[in-house]
Amino acid sequence: MSGALLFQSLILGVLLGGLYALLAAGLTLYFGVMRVVMIAHSAFLILAAYLAWYFHERTGIDPLVSLVFTIPLFFVVGVLVQRLLISRLKPLTLTMMSVLLTFSIALVIEGTLGFFFSGTQRRISLPYSTASIEILEANIPIVKLIAFGLAALSLLGLFLLMKLSRFGQALRATMQNREAAQLIGIQTDTVTDYGFGLGLVTAAIGGTALSLDATIYPSLHWHWIGPLMAIIVVGGLGSIPGAAIAAMLLGITQALLQLPLGQTWAQTIFYVALFATLAFRPQGFFGGRLAQRF
Amino acid sequence: MATTKQLQKQIKKGLAGATIAAFALVGCAGGDGDTNGDSNVDEGNGDPIVIGVSLPLTGDFSEPGKGVQQGYEVWAQVVNESGGLLGRQVELKILDDQSSADRVVTDYESLIAQDQVDLVFGPFSTRLVVPSARVADEYGMLFVEPAGAATEVFEQGLDNLFYAAPAIAVDHYNYLAEYLLALPEDQRPQTAAYASMDDPFAQGTAYGLKAKLEAGGVETVADEVYPPNTTDFSGIASKIAATNADIIVGGTQYQDAVNLIISLQQLGYQPDFAAFSTAPTNPEFESAIGDPTGILSPTGYSVTAPYPSNIEFVEKYNEVFGNDPSEDQANAYTTGQVVAAAVEAVGCAEQGECQQELIDWLHSNSVNTVVGELSWDETGKPTGAHLIQQWIDGEIEIVLPEEAAGVELVHPKPEW
Amino acid sequence: MPNVSDLRTTPSPARSRRPRRANVIRLITVVGGAALVLSFPLVSPNPYILSVGVMVLNYAVLSTSWNMISGFTGYISLGHAAYFGLGAYGTGLTIKYLGLPSFVAFFVAGLIVLVLSIPVGFAALRVRGASFVIVSLSLVLVLLLVFQGWRGFTGGSEGLFVPRPFPDLSRSEHHLTFFFLFAALLAVSLLCWWIIDRSRFGTALKAIREDEDKAQSLGVPTMQYKLVAHVISATFTALGGGMYALWFGDLDPIFQFSILISSYMVLMALLGGVRHLFGPLLGAIVLGVAIEFFKLKFGDTQLHLIATGLLLGIVVLFMPDGIIPSVQSLLARFRPQESSISELSAAERLEEDAKREAEMTR
Repeated sequence: MSGALLFQSLILGVLLGGLYALLAAGLTLYFGVMRVVMIAHSAFLILAAYLAWYFHERTGIDPLVSLVFTIPLFFVVGVLVQRLLISRLKPLTLTMMSVLLTFSIALVIEGTLGFFFSGTQRRISLPYSTASIEILEANIPIVKLIAFGLAALSLLGLFLLMKLSRFGQALRATMQNREAAQLIGIQTDTVTDYGFGLGLVTAAIGGTALSLDATIYPSLHWHWIGPLMAIIVVGGLGSIPGAAIAAMLLGITQALLQLPLGQTWAQTIFYVALFATLAFRPQGFFGGRLAQRF
Repeated sequence: MATTKQLQKQIKKGLAGATIAAFALVGCAGGDGDTNGDSNVDEGNGDPIVIGVSLPLTGDFSEPGKGVQQGYEVWAQVVNESGGLLGRQVELKILDDQSSADRVVTDYESLIAQDQVDLVFGPFSTRLVVPSARVADEYGMLFVEPAGAATEVFEQGLDNLFYAAPAIAVDHYNYLAEYLLALPEDQRPQTAAYASMDDPFAQGTAYGLKAKLEAGGVETVADEVYPPNTTDFSGIASKIAATNADIIVGGTQYQDAVNLIISLQQLGYQPDFAAFSTAPTNPEFESAIGDPTGILSPTGYSVTAPYPSNIEFVEKYNEVFGNDPSEDQANAYTTGQVVAAAVEAVGCAEQGECQQELIDWLHSNSVNTVVGELSWDETGKPTGAHLIQQWIDGEIEIVLPEEAAGVELVHPKPEW
Repeated sequence: MPNVSDLRTTPSPARSRRPRRANVIRLITVVGGAALVLSFPLVSPNPYILSVGVMVLNYAVLSTSWNMISGFTGYISLGHAAYFGLGAYGTGLTIKYLGLPSFVAFFVAGLIVLVLSIPVGFAALRVRGASFVIVSLSLVLVLLLVFQGWRGFTGGSEGLFVPRPFPDLSRSEHHLTFFFLFAALLAVSLLCWWIIDRSRFGTALKAIREDEDKAQSLGVPTMQYKLVAHVISATFTALGGGMYALWFGDLDPIFQFSILISSYMVLMALLGGVRHLFGPLLGAIVLGVAIEFFKLKFGDTQLHLIATGLLLGIVVLFMPDGIIPSVQSLLARFRPQESSISELSAAERLEEDAKREAEMTR
């Protein structure tokens, strides 16, 4: 195995890890805020990708521009889902029932996508789809760089939001201890609603980034939910930095494992990591104070 | 509380009985469904011949599946307009098997056992052909199919099976193998990379070429196999690009070929020869990957072939759909032609002994179709060979064998 | 004052007071139902309908097995299709590589899955709540990858052919035989569920469902009991898969390790009611027939997904105990015996509540 090939896989792994990090961050938000395992997150991801593709099909404009519409749309949808559906579940059985509920939402999204766009695989064809830049004998496709850039930027934005803004602080407080947050006057219900919306916004951005280089089809979301769940477990539920680190680590490992093992087996690394974490350190490896045993 | 329990029991009993009864009713109702197609008797020549087919109209194979459906529809129109089969109109009953191997079995079972169709046509994709051929065989039905081309299909010991195309998968690239190995030393590819989908047909084509090239001294430097729902080819493409093989051979369907080529383009890999099965025969291929010039592909069908039934087919197809047919449509049309020939020769079209007579006739006769004259060995394998096409200047041209070729094969392949 | 935390160690008074008449009606229902099911082959007009019947019985076995863990303990498994697939492939591979006769392979595969489900259950149940669902889902997804990737062993996406146990039978005789075999398997799994339901073990599982911490503090060995229920459930599901393999003959990773089958199992049990013996069976009949009908007439997978998702969502939001129990309680509301609240005194209401709790925790 040549050094160039290794280096190239490493780079591809980093780019992939960045995208995973953004997606896992959203998933972490739902769990941290509401203790909800949002299985439909990847379905929304694929929905965003389809919307980006459709936008490009109809208007010919670069799909990234579709973010102008999808970000507010997904935020509103997130708030609505939380307010109308999830809050209806009884708190005693919340986690289990939320899994079933979000699972059913995922099925409905998949069915609707298939209904409108059929099961045919779609791919956006951009003028720069095949362009790449060369760094030290490694060819890095431009579209992957853009996706990574978008993900990194969004993560940065999320980080700043959480650390510096009042809403972010309220969100973190709610995640740490809901009752205490209520006691100091935070409107936890509203914060929860917005937290959900924020989670779906990450799906919107991630999905659009994904659409640049990926082939999408309605049942693709099952392909993503496994790795994402593994990432948040390994990272430690409720911890966004933990999820980001786990995402990078697992993404790079996957890309490197593709060389000797082939693509199918390389994907199993996520599940191996998931089972190992649950068996030996259920609270995750990288989470800070927010890491939860669930 | 005892009375509540009683009510519970009674409700349960009632519900159980009701649902089972409903089930039985549905069964009965479904049973005498739509087999009395008397409505179409405008010729006044008796019941229409109902032909049952299961096609992947949704799912992984839905694109070619629709192509096959179009082919069958045009065939039915052409036949009906010239008086039908044995003086009876033909009617297609098409079910959607969602590209699923367990669905296709149920579909054919329902068509044959419940709807009592007179004839069946095969489904699309080798993966679906084998299980459905078994069902047809157990009911004694003739099974002519447009797409089951892998060697394994003919090793199942089924005698009712016939493939309606010139050659099976491993022989698809025969002319190309001949050509490549006959090239002078400095132009011949020295190293080859193979990427194929884990599908009996796709892989069959690539491995057929691989066997011949390896025997001719071309070194295999990469051999990747991937599951059908693979969409990310960056890993596979990296490995292939790293080998810098002279020729890349893809045992592919459609989207996977497109994705693989795009990934290879992203990595700057420029082979001297590139051959992919199926995908390049689609007109959309050109816009999906940019410049397809030089990409080779085996094809069973050529729009410009001068066979009389082909001329009629192309004309009718254009009339109905507004553009030229491609291989999938042609394979379907061929299937119809083969079955029609047998039916006309034997003189019957129904379940039962008639089917065995049709099977026997096809084993000992040949049929003229839009892909030429077809005949089969005792396992149902056709005895012809596929043409090789190449994209040149935005058009698909037949380049091999030389007798059928319009133009010279372009090599080495220009940058894509 | 009795309350929901009580672990009843003796049969509830209600049961011993049940009059013979209700028992007799119960027995008649069961026997009548069994007779209806067994006479179905006589009623079915063609082999295709019979094959649908076999499929429905298969679903019934699967959803009853699912109910053994998820109905009793409340741990919703979304990945039970994993055991279905393992049982199916286990049987097929055992026949292929070890050359065992069909039904020996069937039991061997069940045994293999039993053994495998122990460590899996251990990892999944160690941490509760959502992690169980994540693990169950991941199990299906990873097995799909493994069985697709390990082409040399499993046949990959080209599928695995499982030879018929009785090769001389015609196709309709084959369906008939397996109809009865599946019915037998169903009877065994129903019996097993019934035994668990009536036992102390079952009561302990239900206590776990109601409030696991309390159950643990009352001395219930929650981990062991959950594990046992999980293993039993997995084994029966695998047996269902093995029998499917012997009947259908053609296995493919995408359809054996399928999220859709998992969701059908869940939906069928929820439809019929998770707390009732015949709930999953009823759900399987209703949903199985509906699925086949829609697939045949309309073909599109998309509509099934939407319908399945919507149905599941509605059930989760409004009828978490199941559709049939919800309908029952709806009907019960209209019965004259139920007095309106204002007519009862507080003490009488408490007594009514206690009676209802006793009935629920039986």
